[in-house]
Amino acid sequence: MGKLRTITRRTFLVGSVAVVGGVAFGAYLAKRAIPNPLLDELGDGEAALTPFIKITANGITLITPRADKGQGAYSLQAYLLAEELDIDPATATLSPGLPGPAYYNRVILGEGTPFPGYDESTLAETVRGFMSIPAKLMQIQITGGSSTTPDMFERMRMAGAVARETLKEAAAQKHGLSRSELNTDNGHVVLPNGDKLAYTSLAAEAAKLDPISAVELRDPDQWRYLGKPEMQRLDMLAKCTGTEVYGIDKKIDGMLHASVCANPGIGGELLNYDADAAKKLPGVEHIVPVKHGVGVIATNTWYAFKALKALNCEWGPGPYPENSDAIWEQLSEAVDNPDMLDHRQRDDGDVDASLNDNNVITASYRVPYLAHAPMEPMNAIVLVEDNSVTIWTGTQIPLFIRNRAADISGIDAENVLVHVQPMGGSFGHRLEMTHVEQAVELAMSVKGTPIKMTWSREEDMTHDYPRPAAITQARGVVNNGQVETFDLSVGQSSMSSSWFKRLAGMGVPGPDATITTGSWDQPFTIPNYRVSGYRAPDMVPVSSWRSVGASGNGFFHDCFLDELIHAAGADPLEERIRLCSHDTSRKVLEGVAELCNWNGSDIGENKGRGIAFCMSFGVPAAEVIDVSVIDSRIKIDRAFIVADVGTVLDPINIEAQLFGGLIFGLSHAINSELTYENYAPKQNNYHAYEGMRLYQTPDIQVKVLENGEKIRGIGEPGLPPAAPALGNAIFAATGKRIRELPFNKHIQFV
Amino acid sequence: MKLVVNDSEYDVDVEPDMPLLWVLRDELSITGPKYGCGIAQCGACTVMVNGFAVRSCQLAVGDLNGAVTTIEGMGSPESMHVVQQAWVDHQVAQCGYCQSGQIVQAAALLAINPNPSDEQIDGVMSGNLCRCGTYPRIRAAIKTAAKRLRES
Amino acid sequence: MSLSTTSLSTMKGNFAFRDVVLLVSALCATALLLIADGNANAAENEIKLNPPEKGSVSEESGLQAWSRIYEVASHPRCANCHTGESDRPMWSGPSYGQARPHGMNIRAGNSRIGAETLLCSTCHTTLKEDRADANSTPHAAPRVAMLWRLAPKEAHWFGRSSQQICEQLRNPELNGGRTMEQIAEHLNHDLILHWAWQPGGNREPAPYSLQEHVNDILTWGVAGFPCPGV
Repeated sequence: MGKLRTITRRTFLVGSVAVVGGVAFGAYLAKRAIPNPLLDELGDGEAALTPFIKITANGITLITPRADKGQGAYSLQAYLLAEELDIDPATATLSPGLPGPAYYNRVILGEGTPFPGYDESTLAETVRGFMSIPAKLMQIQITGGSSTTPDMFERMRMAGAVARETLKEAAAQKHGLSRSELNTDNGHVVLPNGDKLAYTSLAAEAAKLDPISAVELRDPDQWRYLGKPEMQRLDMLAKCTGTEVYGIDKKIDGMLHASVCANPGIGGELLNYDADAAKKLPGVEHIVPVKHGVGVIATNTWYAFKALKALNCEWGPGPYPENSDAIWEQLSEAVDNPDMLDHRQRDDGDVDASLNDNNVITASYRVPYLAHAPMEPMNAIVLVEDNSVTIWTGTQIPLFIRNRAADISGIDAENVLVHVQPMGGSFGHRLEMTHVEQAVELAMSVKGTPIKMTWSREEDMTHDYPRPAAITQARGVVNNGQVETFDLSVGQSSMSSSWFKRLAGMGVPGPDATITTGSWDQPFTIPNYRVSGYRAPDMVPVSSWRSVGASGNGFFHDCFLDELIHAAGADPLEERIRLCSHDTSRKVLEGVAELCNWNGSDIGENKGRGIAFCMSFGVPAAEVIDVSVIDSRIKIDRAFIVADVGTVLDPINIEAQLFGGLIFGLSHAINSELTYENYAPKQNNYHAYEGMRLYQTPDIQVKVLENGEKIRGIGEPGLPPAAPALGNAIFAATGKRIRELPFNKHIQFV
Repeated sequence: MKLVVNDSEYDVDVEPDMPLLWVLRDELSITGPKYGCGIAQCGACTVMVNGFAVRSCQLAVGDLNGAVTTIEGMGSPESMHVVQQAWVDHQVAQCGYCQSGQIVQAAALLAINPNPSDEQIDGVMSGNLCRCGTYPRIRAAIKTAAKRLRES
Repeated sequence: MSLSTTSLSTMKGNFAFRDVVLLVSALCATALLLIADGNANAAENEIKLNPPEKGSVSEESGLQAWSRIYEVASHPRCANCHTGESDRPMWSGPSYGQARPHGMNIRAGNSRIGAETLLCSTCHTTLKEDRADANSTPHAAPRVAMLWRLAPKEAHWFGRSSQQICEQLRNPELNGGRTMEQIAEHLNHDLILHWAWQPGGNREPAPYSLQEHVNDILTWGVAGFPCPGV
């Protein structure tokens, strides 16, 4: 924790601007390991343009630009600001602000660099730092990659501290005192005589000052909220009383409702539809063609849904293989095909020699396409007027939406306003914007009337841009009770390329690290250790899904490692610890052993215990799962999670994110997949994509460690070890090694 | 067509086969009940009719036969229902989108059975889907609410 | 005090002992009322009860009629809710592959209407009167103008052989003490059974038609309820 003090020695560029009746503060950390003039140039203006804290005579607004999809990001950001500003964030207004370049994500592209999460060497950190430059130039204001905490931890506390010191300076000047004589207390500057001046009363004076940029952050032991159970989520009251206004709940005066259906074979054409039948139905106002589909504008969402069914749309073929069999064939052909090798970031020892000289254990694993399927179907309200577009929607990519809406409407981007709304989940779904594009098209047809476009659940799941399916070949050698050789080949289409084509109109050049993220970058030392990524052709358009590459790779890597450990006759936990070459990760493995009282994977008749480990987003996470076999069905009894985030900011929320990640991982592992027929997923609602229910939920114990050097985000890392821990537990209980998800294709669950 | 929601009477002019959910949300701007699936698979739209939990996406307004209570009618941020208070105390919600339905369903359960066993909680609450995985805290919050109801 | 609180506290009052049995009987009373309602409605598509002359049906024809009845009884639209001792309804059809227990941990309980946990009518809402398009949405919860329920335990059809179902149906102790005419009459009045022939939502209906099924029951009865394989 002592290293925090070094922050004050760095250079900060700080801006403030006068706003109507008050002052706004921004703080921008300009220097990372490598000084860069570009950052300095852009930083000043950005901070001034788009502040984090706005204070007027009427109150304090905390700007929380990272999207809250349910992971608690708004609360976290507000507490980071409030801790240094010295206010109770529950008394402030929270706003995501309007999107702007100052809110670009410095961390997220760093995940794509060729260094594993445990590598904190100067070179790795330098390259990650450089990645913030393109992020900035590309104006990537993105929420994702568990990046909010690492990105904002210093940045927002600095903004709070700058605002606090500037308010103190304003008070000092007003009363002819020195700033060092003053203190603050819960939204007030305290004078030496004990008099208290509300921040709101100092806003006008503070706006005239140059912000105080030489500030010192509070020592963690002085934190009032951070790291403490008092850090309750600020959205909880609204969410428990039905008063949170999600995008789908937002109402704009004069608004009409709408829905759209587009070709279920994403990208295919609309051949024909019967507008006459639909037009006659009650409540229907307009039938409007949109890209690849058609929309209905009506007086009620239900009328729009009904009319869409009456359109009897005829669709052309989708631009990819017609069904799952054809897709799996292409994936299989990619694996171990030298022409399709995308990257090989791990190649230790001499794998080929070892495989030639020994008995080889082989296995093939696969994971299916998966929908994000958040509870709130995608929706957007759009108002198009002569010279402006206004959009209300829950999104992780507000700047991309602004620019795309400008392209579609022909209206300048600066006249496109995107108001980010509270979100009913995402899991990566809101890194897409097809629904907003459609809503803009609809709204253009009725200028001056706001249109709320809501996808039906069926439309949402059909146009979900799923997690890529992937297939692997794995080979290994064990000797003398130890794992000696581990060779994993992963075949998958490129998620990054598919996504960037939709976002930016072009694919990403070069290799796509996400094909092997979660397998090549694990903190183990194995004498012969190779992980290769093979890039299958683009097929179903795919996207980021909670934990991204690690969602499938965590399963491949850990289950095959478990196979080798069992073949070697070693203890699953002890062998993982022996192979582990990263101190923080080893402590996580030891931690979970202690939490579950590990004594081998055999825990009795018709029972089994599995352990799995995956480091993702720099967070080592280990999970243990206990199962029983009841009437040949698997019951998941208990789960134990240990993870290391470096520094715990919100202990209650971290626990929720970790068990939520585990449950999300188990949900899909037990029963969820998208399979394709006639270019479309056969599963279009929750009846066929069930997830986990309350009665299936195990007792879960969570422990979070703080040994890591860097602070880490936790929205995703709880997920990757879940499926392999369950697979390893099923093996321990039944002797059956299931290498394909979802498991219920091979074994039934209670 | 007349209906009573949260103790207020409303008159709406809609087709009788419109699900109650869409009357509440788009006609009356009562948005606590959520659209999640439209086929009774997620429970986000749960309301009470005459005190019984009902999936409002499955109940045509023309088939409505009683007074409707939504999450908004159970309590307010200033004066929460005991179940809502337990939800806040346990910090249950993540995205929160399913929680209106979860809370209404839990209140309907506790109105009949103030001391539900784990098995009974599993039996009643498994029709309410939560994609964030808040289930462990839902279970804990129901037990806390039940205890407080019994003590009060 | 708002209505919601009132209705909740009223419920607490009504269920002073929070006795599930009371709830069950209350709901069963409602169900009976609805069945009575259903009678009036059923008159519109009245089923004709014209049993063949006594002695006019051979055993062989009776067995043929039975094999058609069995096709209906063992069809998922019927068998999925005739689960015997199990209180778990079944799901089957193109989206589910092999028949499997109803999702969401649904149990109909001893009440057979889910009163012990989650009422079937929470999702399978009750129509004021049957209407053709009520079940047009695929995978939505089917609904009719009576309380949705599981068949009585005695009427165990799911996974049962033709002989087993036949023995049950002809045994007055296991068929609700019904005569042939009463079985046919029951078919005429039970709207959930009507649903089996018009399930909507791309579901496969039960084979034949309701009238043909009733005719087969009567034919089988006149033949003396012959069962196969005895």
